[in-house]
This record gives sequence, C-alpha cells and structure tokens, in this order.
Amino acid sequence: MESKRSRFILIGLSVFCVILIAVTSFRDGFLNPLRSGIGYFLNPIQSGINRAGTTLYNTAVNYASLTTAMEERQELQNRIDELVEENNRLRSEQFELNRLRSLYDLDQDYMQYEKIGARVIAKDSGDWFQVFRINKGSADGVRVDANVIASGGLVGIVTDVGANYATVRSIIDDVSRVSGMAQQSGDSCIVSGDLTLFSEGRLRITNIAEDGDVKDGDRIVTSNISSKYLPGILIGYATDITLDDTRLTRSGYLVPVADFNSLQEVLVITQLKEDLTADWGADVREGGS
Amino acid sequence: MRRILFNIILMIVAFTIQNCIFPLIPFLTATPNLLLILTFSFGFIHGKNAGMYYGLLAGILLDLFYSGPFGFYTLLFVNIGYFNGIFTKYYYEDYITLPLFLSLVNELVYNLYIYVLRFLIRNRLDIFYYAGEIVIPEIIFTTVTTLLIYRLFLSTDRRLREMEDRRG
Repeated sequence: MESKRSRFILIGLSVFCVILIAVTSFRDGFLNPLRSGIGYFLNPIQSGINRAGTTLYNTAVNYASLTTAMEERQELQNRIDELVEENNRLRSEQFELNRLRSLYDLDQDYMQYEKIGARVIAKDSGDWFQVFRINKGSADGVRVDANVIASGGLVGIVTDVGANYATVRSIIDDVSRVSGMAQQSGDSCIVSGDLTLFSEGRLRITNIAEDGDVKDGDRIVTSNISSKYLPGILIGYATDITLDDTRLTRSGYLVPVADFNSLQEVLVITQLKEDLTADWGADVREGGS
Repeated sequence: MRRILFNIILMIVAFTIQNCIFPLIPFLTATPNLLLILTFSFGFIHGKNAGMYYGLLAGILLDLFYSGPFGFYTLLFVNIGYFNGIFTKYYYEDYITLPLFLSLVNELVYNLYIYVLRFLIRNRLDIFYYAGEIVIPEIIFTTVTTLLIYRLFLSTDRRLREMEDRRG
C-alpha cells in the first residue's frame, strides 16, 4: 500500500515537472519572483563562501609569486620607462586624433558605454554548461540581455536577473551565438561557442561570405546588426579561416580576448542594444547594410 | 525534525561548495557532483519516499540556479532519489560496493540525460568526444568522492539518530 502511494507521488511529481518544463520553455517570466526570492537567501552565503575561498586562494598564490616578484620588478621598471615615453608620444597623437575626429564629425561616444563592476560569485561546476552568477542584479541596474565584458573583451550576456544577482551565459557556452564582424572590413560572421573547442580555448566562426575579407589575425568585434550585443565590443582574433566544402561560405576559429579560466571580476554594460536602437535605430538600419 | 533540518543545511552547503569553491580550484578538470551523491545516498539509506523528497529539494535548488526551463533538474533528481530508494533493502552499514556501483550508474544517467536533452537535440552528434572529455572524468571524480562522502554521511546520520533515540 505504502509502496503504491509513493509510486503515485513519483508519477505525479514527474508529470508536474514535465508540464513545468513545457510551460517555462515558452514563457520564462513568471517564476522570476521565486528565483529572486531564493536569491535573497542564497546570495549572501555564496558571496561569503566565495570571498573566503578567493582570499585563501589569493594568499597562497601571492606567497608563491613573491619569489619571482623581485626579478619582475626590475624588468617592469624598465618597461615603465619605455611606456612613459611611448605614452607621451601616444598622447600627442590622441590630441591629433581628437582634432581630426571632430573635423570628420565622427561619433566619439562609440564604445563609451556605461558600465558597472561585478564579482563572479558562483559558477556551474559541471563541464556541460558555461554559466556563472554575479553579485549585481536589477537593484543595480542590470537587466536581461545586458552585455558582460572583462579584460577588454566580450564575456557573455545576462540571461536571468534577480534583485541582487544575475546569471550570465558566457560566449563559450555551447548554445551561445554572437553576430560579429571583422573590424577592418566590416564583413559579418557568426561567432559560436562549441564545447568540443572549449578545451583548446577557441570558438567557432562561421557564415563569412565567400568573398568576405576576413584574414587570420583580424580583430572580430560585435556587429552593429546584432539584436542583443552592442556594436564594436572586441570578441577576439580570427585564426585558421578556410573555405567551406560548399564553397559558399568560409569559416574558422576565434581566440577570445577575455580569459575565461580566471574570471573574478567582470563589467556589466547597463545600456542595452534595445535602448540604442530606439535612439538611432534608423541610422543602424541604414549603416548596417 | 533535527535530522531533516540538518540534511537541508547539508544540501545547501554542498550546493554552495560545488558552485563557489570547486570552480576556484584550477587543477580540477572535472568536479564531483555533490548534490547527486547526497541525493542517491539519502535515497539508498532512507528509502524511496525520503529519497524522492530529497531529490525534489535538490532539483529545485539546481533549477533555481540555472535559467533554462524550470523543472529540468527536478524531474531527474526526483527519479534518482526514488529509484535508488528501491535498493534500500540491500542496505546495511559498512557495505560500500553497491553504493559505489549506484553512484557510477547515477552519474551515467545524469550525464546522458543532459547530453540527450540539451545537446543531441541540437544535432551535436560527437558523443565520443563528450564522453571522453566530460562524462568519464566526472564519473571518476564523483565515484571517488562517493567513497569519502558516503562514509561521512553515514556516520553523521548514525550519530544524529542515536542522539534522537536517547532523547525520545
């Protein structure tokens, strides 16, 4: 009797789960209050443990690197001298550039999006998915589809926001697709994450037009025709571009700029592509063709 | 009552360690799946019903963390808790072979579930690559961790039970 009842409960729960999966596959919004509520409870624990773990880990690393630090210091001093000189030269060139830009009336705000810093507090421990959680949420102005960058390169996109946390899917995740373009030629391509390439630290580039001008080493940035990614964010560098068997498109690999193995702090761009398109949508549509 | 509370806290701690500590350790290419170990140990020791409810909680916790369809993990963990509970009649303390074997099978089912429903349906056919790179390392790590965790879990559970018996 007892056994039969528990079997009914099992079947009931399973059916309930399947229905829930089906419903949330189509409409993902209505469970957000629940997720957010749990977030209030879990987030302090995760932040705390993460901070303790990071501190311990950093202390160990610091100690190990202390021995090599002295040599490096001397080297770096030399480098500083070089760089100061280079900086002086570049600064004068920057002035010149600014002058010329205003002359050509170029958009100087390009790439100057509003950003906020966030700390990575949890990661998916399994190897199937590349998602992580940050300690800033809707209370800090993070919204779904906000772009996330680190060390100058695109890292991912926010897929889910609670009051004080947000879940980010990185561009190396298997389902990630980013519409990109070669910075020099403006030829568009698709940058997609691939689990089979993940261990080599590469992503896949596809859909380059057969006559498109994308060469090895070209900088690939987010495209201005992308619906979710802001234009002009550096993704990485193209390598091994070859002609596909169909002879209609070319494809290759991309080495990302951001280092996904040691992500601790990231920057979230609070501006969304939607906001931009609302402002100068007409320009993008004309200019992106 | 106290045991239930203890088990819930243990689950949250395991979940936090799994997501906050393990990713920090750079030389771990694969990480043991603590929630899976806890769920199946609980089912194996306490029977079908208990395993099912424990799986329900663990699954909900995982589903809350991921932003995919809600219920994906709950479905799997409820069933894992239940089916491992069936083997509870073979359970006696200090018997480690069957739990290890169960852990292996559970890991296999878990990874197959993810592969088929999240990768195969998107036409990712390279099953041998995924098996070699992800599934096998994770199975090995989890099975080894089971050796430790299961023993620990068992002794804590026994101590808690004794404490409760003495009282009531």
